[in-house]
Amino acid sequence: MSQTVDPITDDLLRPVLRTSPRFWLTVAVLGLIVAAGAGAWIYQLYYGFGVTGIRWPIFWAVYVTNFVFWIGISHAGTLISAILRLMDAEWRRPVTRCAEAITVFALMIGGMFPIIHLGRPWHFFWLIPYPNQRGLWPNFRSPLVWDFLAITTYLIGSVLFLALPMIPDFALLRDRTTGWRRRVYGTLALGWRGTTIEWQRLETAMSIMAVVILPVAVSVHTIVSFDFSMAPVPMWHSTIFGPYFVAGAIFSGVAALILAMALLRRFLELGAYLRPLHFENLGKLLLLMSLVWSYFVFSERLTIWYGNDPAEMAVFRTTQEGSFAPLYWTMVVCNFIVPFALLAPKRTRTTISGCVAASVAVLVGMWLERFLIIVPSLGHKHLPYSWATYRPQPVEIVITIATFAAMTLFYVLFAKFVPIISIWELKVGRQPAPAAVDLDVRPEAMGVRR
Amino acid sequence: MAYKWGMAVDLDRCTGCEACVIACGAENNIPTVGPTEAARGRAMPWIRVERYWEGEFPDVRLKFRPVLCQQCDNAPCEPVCPTYASHHTEDGLNAQVYNRCIGTRYCANACPYTVRFFNFFNPTWDKPLHLQLNPDVSVREVGVAEKCTFCVQRINAAKTEARADGTNIKDGDLQTACAQSCPARAIVFGDLNDPDSEVSRLSRSPRGSLLLEEVGTKPKVTYLSRQSQA
Amino acid sequence: MDRRIFLKVTAVTGAGTTLASCDAPVHQLVRFIPEETHVPGVAEWKPGVCPICQAGCGVLVRVMEGDAEVVRNGHAGVVAMGLAKKLEGNPEHPINRGALCARGQAAVQLTYHPDRLTRPRKRVGARGSGQFKDVSWEDAIAELLSKLEALIAAERRSALAFLGTPGASARADLVDEFLTRFGARPAARFELFDNDVLRRANELSFGRYQLPTFDLDQARLVLSLGADFLGTWNSPVSQGAAYGQMRQGRVGIRGRLIQVEPRMSQTGANADEWLPARPGTEGILALGLARVVMSENLRPAAGAGRAGALVDGWPAGLLDYTPEQVEKRTGVAAARVERLARQLANERPSVVIIGGAPLAHTNGLASALAVNALNALLGSVGEPGGVSFMPQVGRTNPPASRPALQMLLADLLSSERSPIDVLLLDGGVNPVFGSPQAWRTREALLKVPFIVSFAPFLDETSALADLVLPDHGFLEGWDERRPESGARVAVRTVAAPALRPLFDTRATADVLMEVGRRLGRPLELPWQTFEEMLASTFETVPETPEGDGWTVAKRHGGWWGAPATSAPVVRPRASTGEPPTPTPQRVGDPQFIGDQAAFPYHFLPYASQAFLDGSVAHLPWLQELPDVISTAMWSTWVELNPKTAARLEIRQGDLVEVTSPHGALRAPALVSPGLAPDVVAMPVGQGHEQFTRYASGRGANPVNILAPTAEPVTGALAWAATRVKIARISDPDGSLIMMAGSLHEHPEGGRD
Repeated sequence: MSQTVDPITDDLLRPVLRTSPRFWLTVAVLGLIVAAGAGAWIYQLYYGFGVTGIRWPIFWAVYVTNFVFWIGISHAGTLISAILRLMDAEWRRPVTRCAEAITVFALMIGGMFPIIHLGRPWHFFWLIPYPNQRGLWPNFRSPLVWDFLAITTYLIGSVLFLALPMIPDFALLRDRTTGWRRRVYGTLALGWRGTTIEWQRLETAMSIMAVVILPVAVSVHTIVSFDFSMAPVPMWHSTIFGPYFVAGAIFSGVAALILAMALLRRFLELGAYLRPLHFENLGKLLLLMSLVWSYFVFSERLTIWYGNDPAEMAVFRTTQEGSFAPLYWTMVVCNFIVPFALLAPKRTRTTISGCVAASVAVLVGMWLERFLIIVPSLGHKHLPYSWATYRPQPVEIVITIATFAAMTLFYVLFAKFVPIISIWELKVGRQPAPAAVDLDVRPEAMGVRR
Repeated sequence: MAYKWGMAVDLDRCTGCEACVIACGAENNIPTVGPTEAARGRAMPWIRVERYWEGEFPDVRLKFRPVLCQQCDNAPCEPVCPTYASHHTEDGLNAQVYNRCIGTRYCANACPYTVRFFNFFNPTWDKPLHLQLNPDVSVREVGVAEKCTFCVQRINAAKTEARADGTNIKDGDLQTACAQSCPARAIVFGDLNDPDSEVSRLSRSPRGSLLLEEVGTKPKVTYLSRQSQA
Repeated sequence: MDRRIFLKVTAVTGAGTTLASCDAPVHQLVRFIPEETHVPGVAEWKPGVCPICQAGCGVLVRVMEGDAEVVRNGHAGVVAMGLAKKLEGNPEHPINRGALCARGQAAVQLTYHPDRLTRPRKRVGARGSGQFKDVSWEDAIAELLSKLEALIAAERRSALAFLGTPGASARADLVDEFLTRFGARPAARFELFDNDVLRRANELSFGRYQLPTFDLDQARLVLSLGADFLGTWNSPVSQGAAYGQMRQGRVGIRGRLIQVEPRMSQTGANADEWLPARPGTEGILALGLARVVMSENLRPAAGAGRAGALVDGWPAGLLDYTPEQVEKRTGVAAARVERLARQLANERPSVVIIGGAPLAHTNGLASALAVNALNALLGSVGEPGGVSFMPQVGRTNPPASRPALQMLLADLLSSERSPIDVLLLDGGVNPVFGSPQAWRTREALLKVPFIVSFAPFLDETSALADLVLPDHGFLEGWDERRPESGARVAVRTVAAPALRPLFDTRATADVLMEVGRRLGRPLELPWQTFEEMLASTFETVPETPEGDGWTVAKRHGGWWGAPATSAPVVRPRASTGEPPTPTPQRVGDPQFIGDQAAFPYHFLPYASQAFLDGSVAHLPWLQELPDVISTAMWSTWVELNPKTAARLEIRQGDLVEVTSPHGALRAPALVSPGLAPDVVAMPVGQGHEQFTRYASGRGANPVNILAPTAEPVTGALAWAATRVKIARISDPDGSLIMMAGSLHEHPEGGRD
């Protein structure tokens, strides 16, 4: 492809149009890990669910942890993207597609786990409300059915939210490529010509989606939290779970976004577009979420400790000073101390490595947080005779690792197929239409250092 | 009037002999999971005798308490099942429909008494032990949750007979396997809607209390406390 | 695709599929013609006799039709037949009154056990290797006959011996009759936890060589010295039923239970008061209580009568047993002794029970005599709410003064040439497992040239046989028991076979009768079959409107009633040994084997809830039953007091070594609050080297390391008299499997 005068397009299309050997190696390695995960699941289907570490009375563990974790991650993209769009925050432009892609893939991966963790997954479709010969609708009182409906809605919405703004870029690719690529992009571009009416329609659609997707996103993780709070399990049956989970989701999602952006910046040479300013802004958001999350955790634990209910205190103690204490305090360090230490001082917040380090800590901490919500409570229910400990088995560990590989693989393939930074949006940001110029637009917001 | 099946467990009579545990397992085709799986927490006694120590030698006390499905009238396991596998019947039982169960295990988590169990593998019986299986009770497959049913197969058989005779089930004619085998007659089963039944009488005892009453499940098993005198 | 391609593809796949399903013809099982008629899906309830322990409970078997793989005339096939689905207690039976214990419920697995012996077998490998080949019944019986003829020809009739389990029954009578007519040694009977010490004491005190029956239904205060009467001792179901009544069966009256033992048993857990006493001092405590009763004139001293006269020092008022002296010797506070004595005297009816470990000491007989005297003093003997003796049918003479098995082993080990040429082993007797290694049981049995076993399973003892003639399984043959305790009337539990035999087995009683008939000089037993023998004993039972005695007994699962009238006639057992000598016994301190400094702990093996003495360890339901105190399954464990464990730095599950002067074993430690600090306890039942797939190679057998010390008068093994030392070996090896996650209901500090 010949170089054009337009450096933005060149830079952002290079990852799509040029394929290095490193790409194939990455795909191969990730593919193997994902294949191992698929193999582990087939092993589980063949030999029976007992190959996991699940046991009486800890009936949910690593799989449900992964489910909540990935659904939580999915709150990054769409929420960030939609909120920033609605706030007209200009610095969002290079970030939106990265974020929205995380959402879609995290939802897909998270959505696998309700099937993986079923005892009879071949009947999973009984959760779908369709007229059937059993003469039964799914039980709409069950939070699991709410999960199904909410996640499906959110997935459809997120795919739309991701796909709509990709249309102009598909058109760009169509016009820049030949052969089979041209045919594929051409189909995906849906005949986009770039007329004013088309642009107006796109903007309108994006505005509507941005508004609509927000309550859906909030509802999804609230509903996921209801999987726990609707059961009379000590330290689950808490009114704080809805907002707590949503906050935690945004928290982990922002961390995932920061990490993804850092990797893209490095491996796709997008340093000119994903600037320290973006990381700093997201870093501020991460710090804010860390404080919000810590506030919720402190508030809940103080209430429980003060109330001194025996059943709840048994769970409280096992995390505070008992067998789960090492994991619990690691989580506190990862979710509060490290982010605060790295993101409060401007010196470290303005570095990309500072933000990335905080994000990695938060991802570890948030995975632990999901685990620590589920397993200690189930292992210490009302009748102490039934108390037990849980050890994850190789099947669960392999599948967990495979999900991280799958996320990365999807992302790598996505970035190979579609420009990971929305070209047209970036250009609009750089050269806004006169009517869009606003005295509030500051050069820094567009990534230009004064 | 419909029946309302309930139970009374007299802890002053219970000796901790666990006859009820084996009787229930024999009646309801509960699989033996073997030592490896038992070590991994997969044993599934539908009724178990909990034991709790108090004190230190020589002032030790040991309490026994048989725990089984309480067939709660406000069962937390029922609203959470996505496929209605766990649902309430007219007789007040919490029914578990194996065919509908897809194995989410939400019911097992929600149950505060931890009386619900899960089939981690397809159960096997070394032949010819399978000849002992009770044909009136389904054998469950892998991935399905199960728990005490108050011997619903016996209830159904008794109802069929009573209907054929044109009467109701008389108190004492119908017993669950655990109640039948108990030497001390600690377990009493019957119709709570019949004020003259033995279980109704015992449920009104001043020694009676409900297990985990504060959770609000409205269990239908009344535990009569052990009267201890110094 | 176009039509041509479509047709090609269809043809190829179709042909391929058809060819693939044509494989070798499936091996079909022959279907035999049913030997009985059942309505499918409809249950019949037939009477049966529970075989697990000596209590002799009556059961009802739920029989329903099903297909089973069987062996008929040496051929394998399938037949529709009645299958045993469930056992329930027989509601009419006076002993268990419709209830059934955990072990009885599990008994149905005896019939359908995968490792049951299905046909006669002859040894081909080394003794005990478990290598056998199948033989026909004709050949097997012929071989047994030839061995017996050889004995007759060599005039060594007394070189035939029989080893079986104790318990009065028609089967035992038949065996005795066979042996007597043959001229063989009297039968030896062995069971680890048999209660010969108590029977001997009762014979001395009350003239009844018999286990006692306790009228708990009507008692107000029960003092149990070490007897796990609600769990494993004597007649647990009958005692459990009576206990329930004692507690809540009488309006406004609640009986109380006080238990004295160094380790809290399942029974002890139900006590209103639990007192630990030093092991083996229970008899001293009983005398201390008697002294208070007598010295405070709470009961007339003469009331103890003959029982009192048997206790040394009784007529003088037991001067050596002041509360302070009793406290020093037993560890029970003097004030408590006084209070307890007053309670026993005032809260009447009261009764004292002694059983289990207290009798398994060197002073066991003396302790039992002491308790008998105390009961007599309290006026509890033969009275409502007290101790009595069940009317007996047929049992007359007691066995010899020294246990027959130990005499047998002594004879075998002491002589160069084995004095026994042919040893017959009944089913269920397993002295190789159930006796201390110091007895050298296996070594002794190996000296016998020809061993025949009738056991339906291979265990450590039956595996030594040269010829195995497996008995029918439980419920497949005629059975009869005559319980000696647990009811107020005489009882004979009787049952016809409830099921057809699954395999090519034969009723041992019928085999013995056939052998008796086919000897060169037939033994001329009065009956042709066991059924005939049983029927003949009911000839004297008068007819009722329901039918003749035998028919009625078969229908109800037994006979029960007053023996003076209408009792079935049973031939008395052969008389052996000399009558006992009634000299007053002194309750001395218990003797322990093992120097206290080197072996600081008392070793307490106890009958486990699941396996009793280990004879039912092969039933998978019982292996998976969580022991109610430890909650352990499929496991062996060593119980330690928490402070002892902490001092030795032993944590739950750690592998420990228990060493006595006679051996060592390794097992995981289990910390148990209900145990005295100087006592180490272990359940008996696991540690089988060979006993079907479920019990073989599992755990450790505490009996192995016991000292061979005996109660001097009866010669019974004093299995509670061994001392041991403990050492920590390693971290847990995963062999301790527990169900419970917490010891306490309200754990403090979140710790379990």
